[in-house]
Amino acid sequence: MAGDKIFDDDLLSRCMSCGFCLPSCPTYQLTGEEASSPRGRITLMRAVQEDRLDVTDPTVLAQSEFCLGCRACEPVCPAGVQYGQLLEQWRDTEWQGRRRPLLARALMAMMSWLGMAGITLLGVVRGAALTRRGTADAPHLMLGCVERVLYPRVSRSARRLVPALRAPAVQGCCGALHAHNGESGKGRRMAQRLGRQLPGTIVTTSGGCSAHLTHELGADRVVEFSAWIAAGNGPDPASLRPIMLDERGKPLPPHASGGRPARIGLQDSCHLRNAVGVWRQPRELIAHLGEYVEVPNAAGCCGAAGSYSVLRPKDSRAVLAPKLDALAELDLDYLAVVNPGCYRQLAGALKGSRTRVVHLAELLAAAGTD
Amino acid sequence: MDSTELAGRLAGIVGERHVRTAEGDLEAYARDATPLFRHRPDVVVFPGDTAEVAAVLTLATELSVPVVPRGAGSNLAAATVPLHGGIVLVLTRLTEILEISGPELLARVQPGVSTKALAEAAAGHGLLYVPDPGSQVVSTVGGNVATCAGGLRGLKYGVTRNYVLGLEVVLPTGEVIRTGGRLWKDVAGYDLTRLLTGSEGTLGVITEVTVALVPKPAAARTGVAYFADLAAAGRAVAAVIEAGITPATCEFLDRTCVAAVEDYAHLGLDTEAGALLLFGDDGDPEVVQASLTRIGQVCTEHGATGVTLAESVAASEELLAARRCSLPALSRLGSLTILEDATVPRPKLAEMADRIAAIAANHRLTIGTFGHAGDGNLHPTCVLDVHDTDAIERSHAAFGEIFAAAIELGGTITGEHGVGAAKLPYLERRLGADQLALLRRIKTAFDPAGILNPGKLGS
Repeated sequence: MAGDKIFDDDLLSRCMSCGFCLPSCPTYQLTGEEASSPRGRITLMRAVQEDRLDVTDPTVLAQSEFCLGCRACEPVCPAGVQYGQLLEQWRDTEWQGRRRPLLARALMAMMSWLGMAGITLLGVVRGAALTRRGTADAPHLMLGCVERVLYPRVSRSARRLVPALRAPAVQGCCGALHAHNGESGKGRRMAQRLGRQLPGTIVTTSGGCSAHLTHELGADRVVEFSAWIAAGNGPDPASLRPIMLDERGKPLPPHASGGRPARIGLQDSCHLRNAVGVWRQPRELIAHLGEYVEVPNAAGCCGAAGSYSVLRPKDSRAVLAPKLDALAELDLDYLAVVNPGCYRQLAGALKGSRTRVVHLAELLAAAGTD
Repeated sequence: MDSTELAGRLAGIVGERHVRTAEGDLEAYARDATPLFRHRPDVVVFPGDTAEVAAVLTLATELSVPVVPRGAGSNLAAATVPLHGGIVLVLTRLTEILEISGPELLARVQPGVSTKALAEAAAGHGLLYVPDPGSQVVSTVGGNVATCAGGLRGLKYGVTRNYVLGLEVVLPTGEVIRTGGRLWKDVAGYDLTRLLTGSEGTLGVITEVTVALVPKPAAARTGVAYFADLAAAGRAVAAVIEAGITPATCEFLDRTCVAAVEDYAHLGLDTEAGALLLFGDDGDPEVVQASLTRIGQVCTEHGATGVTLAESVAASEELLAARRCSLPALSRLGSLTILEDATVPRPKLAEMADRIAAIAANHRLTIGTFGHAGDGNLHPTCVLDVHDTDAIERSHAAFGEIFAAAIELGGTITGEHGVGAAKLPYLERRLGADQLALLRRIKTAFDPAGILNPGKLGS
């Protein structure tokens, strides 16, 4: 490996090994083992970089897969280690050829096979890309690939709330999942292509995409939907009316009288919070929509973690379990999410519960305004 | 016995799930938070209760295999680096808060509970667990007791040893003893609780801790004063204490630290000043107000170039954050950060600060100094390039001189981080040959086979 370093030395040497990241790490919480903590993983990366361990070492490989990539370790790091970057560099090398998890290979192959034409078509069929054109010069709404397929109603809601948003059906995938799965070069190229397809400001309803796109295209080009609305780009947040529920918990029409305000919690999107720094804005918006309830450890990963819940369902459920206990106690009317991965994970887990999982854009669109 | 066989025997005690021998796992436990120290253990074991700890230690003594107990691995003296291989005994599975008693003002916890978790649990009962080392979010109570951790409240409230009432400890030979207990007064026998506090895992393995709590003060506030240099700040601290005030917090940053912190955290600190003094008090709101005003006055009378009292709790928190982030802020100046822990009698603080600055200049090193002005505990922190072997050599020489200077001024080589392996070469200079020999006899009495944390304090 000499002369062909896997990690950027500057990034790797930032870490002082103080261990302040340990309590924030969901996998360390599960195991209590150093190797499954951010500090321990950096120790492994250093050992690989300095030839004390081989990239094929089973622990090294296992830990590169076990990490959720939630980046909860970044905001708590006193030394400013960019763990997310190190993880991408790690997987770029670690996950080559046969060492790449089988399912990750299948997932990426499926996305390539489906191709952007396929996703575009699906988006149109399912109605994410409405025929309305938006207003010239208005920001572009990114439709996302996972969200377009699974939750086209999110983009529909965003456009109902702000009809001026432009959402052309022909737009690519941002490449975030590729970047997180050992193909950071491809992920970067996909983001750049999307940047060319959607000139000007790009608004995204997906926390994960917003982090990847912000990193690749810059914070002046990319803005996450809740941050954009909270900054006053849609209806005045102060004019939003609370969502009122009847005695059976059914929402009343926007301007009906009576009822009680909905109890609404939020599950942060890890990358939106930890990489972009957006967490206050969705809470501020929800406070206008009903009674805001802070979910314990809302900032902690729900286990979706991009493709993690598909690749490692058992670990994903283990990470989710304590959150489900907390949610059962809160007895919310709505749990708002700001990322399609969290949407899928939590909607699946809370099926049959009284708490409905919705994207914040849907709640905003359902609320009336003064 | 080879390590596979050893791992097999250990698996028989704790279960296969709780034993690790893979190279990657051993590498992860080859170090703690101390730079430049690394050695892999042969096996890592995670016991689930006191009986398992006892069985592991009995086995280790029988086989003469080294055992290094470990909590969160946040210590800064290489006290948890397995320099002689053997077993790393990780206590992170023991995370129960067993009891918080309001009427008795105490808590009983397992060693793997984080200090922050204990503090929060105590706060839930309107009580305060006083020791607040900088690492409290990650460090464990067991580790804090084993190193007698300090914190920001040393002057008024003392350190970990002042709050440990009792311990359950497994001796290297497998016996389980309980020292102290729930009593504030108890002179039956040698004070083994105090001996074990700060023993750095060389005498026994702590499996339960009983600590004293205090009622939570009604209010806490802080203020900040700037001085031309650290020496002037030191003189002001002496004057404050002479005036009959015992501040709960009394921290300082030198010019290098103020600049690094401001560059990192943008708190609006005065980067022109040569030193920053952060002071604070807690208690009834009126008392706190009066105390802060008086400290501010004394500082002004003793050369402070500016004094600001925090107007709110949030502003106080921000100032404390400035002090807490001095290490990470400094660490951004280079790829290797060596944090030290020399301590002098409080009146010598100013002189010690001058000596450190001179030593740094002499060795052409960047050393920022921050620390606890209230208790004379300085953290000279050297920032350098990890690949610059010449600078690393010079830093070793510089720290040798810094420790010598501290001892000459009546101080010590470590105030709160511990001796571990990092400070062992300087220990005899601090204690003298006779006392060091006594330490070794004590060590032998506890640990005849010499299996616990060899190559560290007392061995």
